[in-house]
Amino acid sequence: MATRPTTPASPKNAKIKSPSPGCPVFGCEHVQILLCQSQEVMNSSIAHYKMILRGIFDTTPILSQTSTNQEGRPVTSLTSNYLCLQCPVTLSEDDRLKHGTEKLHRFYVDSRTGALYCQICDDLVWDPTLEELRVRKIGTGTFSTNRKRKHDELFAESSKEDPRIISANTTVASCRASGLRGIYNAGATCYQNVVLQSFLHNPLLRNFYLSDGHQSSECSISHCLSCAMDDMFQDFYALESTNGYTAANILSGFWISEKKAFENLVTTKEQDAHEFFQFLAEELHERNGDGKRPQSGSEHTCNCIIHQTFYGKMQTTTTCQNCHNSTHAVQSFLDLSLGVDTLAQRRAKKTGQKLPALTLGDCLDEEYVKSDKCEYRCHKCASIQQARRHTSIKRLPNVLSIQLKRFEFKQGKHDRAASKIDNPVSFPLQLNMLPYTNRARNRDSRENLELERSCTYDLLSVVVHVGEIETGHYVSYCRVGDQWFKFNDHKVELARVSDVLGAQAYLLFYIIRSLA
Amino acid sequence: MNSATGRAGIIRARDDAGSMDKLAHSVLDDVLFNIVSDLLMKTHREEKTARATTAAIRVEKLASDASESSTPDSGPDVRIETDAAIYEDGKVLLKGNPLKTTTDILCPRCHLPRLLYPTDGKGARKPDPTIVYCKKHPFIEKPGCDIYGQSWVGPGPGRGKKKKDMDKKDGADGTPEQRPPNVLSFPSATCSKCKRCILVTRLNNHMGSCIGNSGRNASRAAAQRINGGGSQNEPTPPPSQKATPTPTSRAQSPRKRDVSDDDDDDSETSHKKKKLKPSQTKKVILKTKPPLKKDKIKSSSLSQEQKADYDVPSPKVLNKIKSKAESPIKKLKVTKPTIASPMSKNGRDIDGESESSGTLSSPPASRH
Repeated sequence: MATRPTTPASPKNAKIKSPSPGCPVFGCEHVQILLCQSQEVMNSSIAHYKMILRGIFDTTPILSQTSTNQEGRPVTSLTSNYLCLQCPVTLSEDDRLKHGTEKLHRFYVDSRTGALYCQICDDLVWDPTLEELRVRKIGTGTFSTNRKRKHDELFAESSKEDPRIISANTTVASCRASGLRGIYNAGATCYQNVVLQSFLHNPLLRNFYLSDGHQSSECSISHCLSCAMDDMFQDFYALESTNGYTAANILSGFWISEKKAFENLVTTKEQDAHEFFQFLAEELHERNGDGKRPQSGSEHTCNCIIHQTFYGKMQTTTTCQNCHNSTHAVQSFLDLSLGVDTLAQRRAKKTGQKLPALTLGDCLDEEYVKSDKCEYRCHKCASIQQARRHTSIKRLPNVLSIQLKRFEFKQGKHDRAASKIDNPVSFPLQLNMLPYTNRARNRDSRENLELERSCTYDLLSVVVHVGEIETGHYVSYCRVGDQWFKFNDHKVELARVSDVLGAQAYLLFYIIRSLA
Repeated sequence: MNSATGRAGIIRARDDAGSMDKLAHSVLDDVLFNIVSDLLMKTHREEKTARATTAAIRVEKLASDASESSTPDSGPDVRIETDAAIYEDGKVLLKGNPLKTTTDILCPRCHLPRLLYPTDGKGARKPDPTIVYCKKHPFIEKPGCDIYGQSWVGPGPGRGKKKKDMDKKDGADGTPEQRPPNVLSFPSATCSKCKRCILVTRLNNHMGSCIGNSGRNASRAAAQRINGGGSQNEPTPPPSQKATPTPTSRAQSPRKRDVSDDDDDDSETSHKKKKLKPSQTKKVILKTKPPLKKDKIKSSSLSQEQKADYDVPSPKVLNKIKSKAESPIKKLKVTKPTIASPMSKNGRDIDGESESSGTLSSPPASRH
């Protein structure tokens, strides 16, 4: 470590990743030979690899998918081509060996994934230096480590620290402690458990709490919910226990909390997981943030972990139909609540099906692409006018939480009858939010890929309600790495992607790709 | 492209199919090929990286063992070569393909070998008992078990409101030997307010009534306010359960439970009760409250005393009235001569709340 240069010798010179314990310096002996020839060869190889990656990920795939066959005619393939790392040629898999024998070029880049193939190994090679470039290109769209997102320093900082300081001041958790534990149902508290699980497997919140973002030992507030969260994160990620967790502190904090999470709260009754999510988010904001109650409808900003994680901003533009004068109103949001009811009814009429299937895209279109008419007092016209109102997302959050409004209160004459909408709403593993932002309309098509990448979300967790409105059960699915898990109170099971996507989602949590 | 299929060769058009048909088949086949190759590539990357790391850890371990210098800052100044890697100048260089040279995987954190197959359920294999494995095991996929192969004692306890469930549960707790080690029972937790130990499945209920002013007592109080508010002059509803004036089935069930619950502190409370009782009953008589129905335990215990001191209807009569509604009365009749458990319960209430004596008294008075 001592030999590691602290500053790059020259910004133009490419360098290989500095050696770290437990990691070979090169992907294979042959990459080692290539990169160790001279600084020049290393520079050109890495520069060429970057160029190829840009070609693959930033431009239309047609280019890299098209190779020239023996007769000199272009052939476009759906399956991978191979781009030579040592000369600007694209080859089909069949021509690869021939090119290698002729030119002694041994390294090729897969045209669909950017992975490096070594012909001498006859295998894909995962070289630490080149692989880091590829992963970063896929994740953030840029090779540089200076990421654009506002709050990313928070999450990147720790890697810059000296490993010796880290090892001296931290304890290494057992390999058994994976954060995968159930939470016991304390009597109709499954609505809390599902939200807690989705918080526990949220990388942003996890990093915040595990890096002592809120230390329960230094907090003087009694029955602080953030302390209870801190303790819970410690128990999940530091203890070997695989038994369920008893969220007693969360529960008592919840009961003691000054503002009641639910109106006419009765212990034994089942509650709404979404309301609990809102309650927990606001409570944690108050404990970690500026202490101000977020006023609904205002453009409240705060640097607390909850705001950095969940809050985004949406903009409502109202355009007078008479003078075409527009006014903008911006407000921050914790989650997007998407109506299902009207859409389902309309679809049912159209198709004649009893429970027509909807997609998440349909619901998002309804709220953030389409505009509606409203009455509005125009300043310019100084009178009430017809207006068009359009809502779009101005700033996307790092973790996008979406509620599908499956529970509706129908106002009757005497009582309110609640009903549940059982329509299946399909949702993707990967969500592009660009069409729902205010940049969707005035975008340049060239920036399209870049923008789209910054608006790409990956599904993180799903809260599912099963059963009737009055009595049902909540379960949740959370993703850890690429593996999905089903959390049913204290019981944790492996889940397949098809289980997750087939579930009747109530709450969805998506995480921005550039962080994931 | 005129072939009947794509790269995967799985989705194949008939030989006599039209060219568009063939194209569609080969497109679909290519897409399938891409999906499979993406999956394969992901697994390949994980596996090969893990093996390369393993080779590096091995050779680093050998190097640090070989060198005596105990300076942690600089790497050991030795050259070590294994079948899979070379250690030189503090750097690890691979030798050959780690997928071929390295057969197992070491955990990059604890440097112990990883268990590669689950120990139970789908795809299970017996682990080598002589090897100390990394504690991170492959997750278990087995019906009825969680990812660690654990299961829980029956779903009964905590689900219903019956105290019986809880008792059974406690019994199971007392004899854990009978259960296999990976069958877990529900734990208990301490209430942050009253510091009592509560079974987790009842924790929410408990906290609701202990911290939040909710739960059974609150709803009972509310019911009291609604039902009894008009006829009785008490501005605040008595907090004890006993105070419920109507012998509804709702009021009876908790009573039953309490009887069995309080068995242990019988002796202590019954003494207090004896002392308190006479004065209480006298007070009641003097007041002569308007008639009200009483429920079983109250009536029986009070009736005994009334029989002794005053000329009131005998308990037999009372019991007759009651017996229509419930059987436990008979039991009470039998145990009349001695102070039975119901008494202890009354005693406790009187201790706690002077107010409750007022309500308690009303049932006997009603019979006049």
